[in-house]
Amino acid sequence: MFLCFALITLIGAVALTFQRNLVVAGLCLVLSFMGVAGLFLLLANPVAAALQIIVYSGAIVVLLLFVIMLLNEHQEEPAIRARPIQRWLSVLVTLVLTAGVARLVAGSGLLRRLSANPPPAAQNLGNLGNALFSDHLLAFEVVGLLLLAAMVGAVAIVKRDL
Amino acid sequence: MTTLISILSGGLQGYILVALLLFITGLATVLCRRSILVQFMGVELMLNAANVALVAFARFRGSDVQGTVFYLFIIAVAACEAAVGLALVVGLYRLRQSTDTDRADALKQ
Repeated sequence: MFLCFALITLIGAVALTFQRNLVVAGLCLVLSFMGVAGLFLLLANPVAAALQIIVYSGAIVVLLLFVIMLLNEHQEEPAIRARPIQRWLSVLVTLVLTAGVARLVAGSGLLRRLSANPPPAAQNLGNLGNALFSDHLLAFEVVGLLLLAAMVGAVAIVKRDL
Repeated sequence: MTTLISILSGGLQGYILVALLLFITGLATVLCRRSILVQFMGVELMLNAANVALVAFARFRGSDVQGTVFYLFIIAVAACEAAVGLALVVGLYRLRQSTDTDRADALKQ
């Protein structure tokens, strides 16, 4: 199961990197987000999985696809000049990071010790609500205010003349 | 060998490896692509990689509910970032009729 969702996530991400069509790239992003939601389910956290699907695959990707269609930019524009050095440098950085990450995870004793812990009970919405509204009430209200500010800001930026 | 089995069977190492590979893919997308919309998708991938690592650690350190609370706040900030970021992309397109980052290389037109 884990391998299946991990492959869905990574295949979606890699397809996004190599996709020329922007709308299809957005759909690859949805695939990757769905894989991440599946990983959250396997981590016994259905709340996080539901939030992932609603907020990321729902709201954010729909907004992104709306903007792509609004701007009518379905293909990447041809480059004004080729940048071979930057391109090869970024490929090199990616390969070096991948090798380094594989070594780091394989050699980490801390991860091995934590991985041996017996898996505890699943997360549910009741626990989350109690923690959210008893310990983090102020932060919750501040986040609400932040969302309002972002909404007003987005409208102010897009509107031609206020 | 035990590490490989742990990764393939869904131990903590497997989740962290997936999170890090997802982060690297997002970084490669931001570095290699020119369209600012695809770069935005790469940033979202990197943010998701951090979320996977956070939820995996919260699970394997005793299923602490604080991890999920933190994830909720991260997702709220990500929604704000998406709204304002896409508004800025629309503003840039109005100014330059392009979403290519190479064509947006001057502060003033």
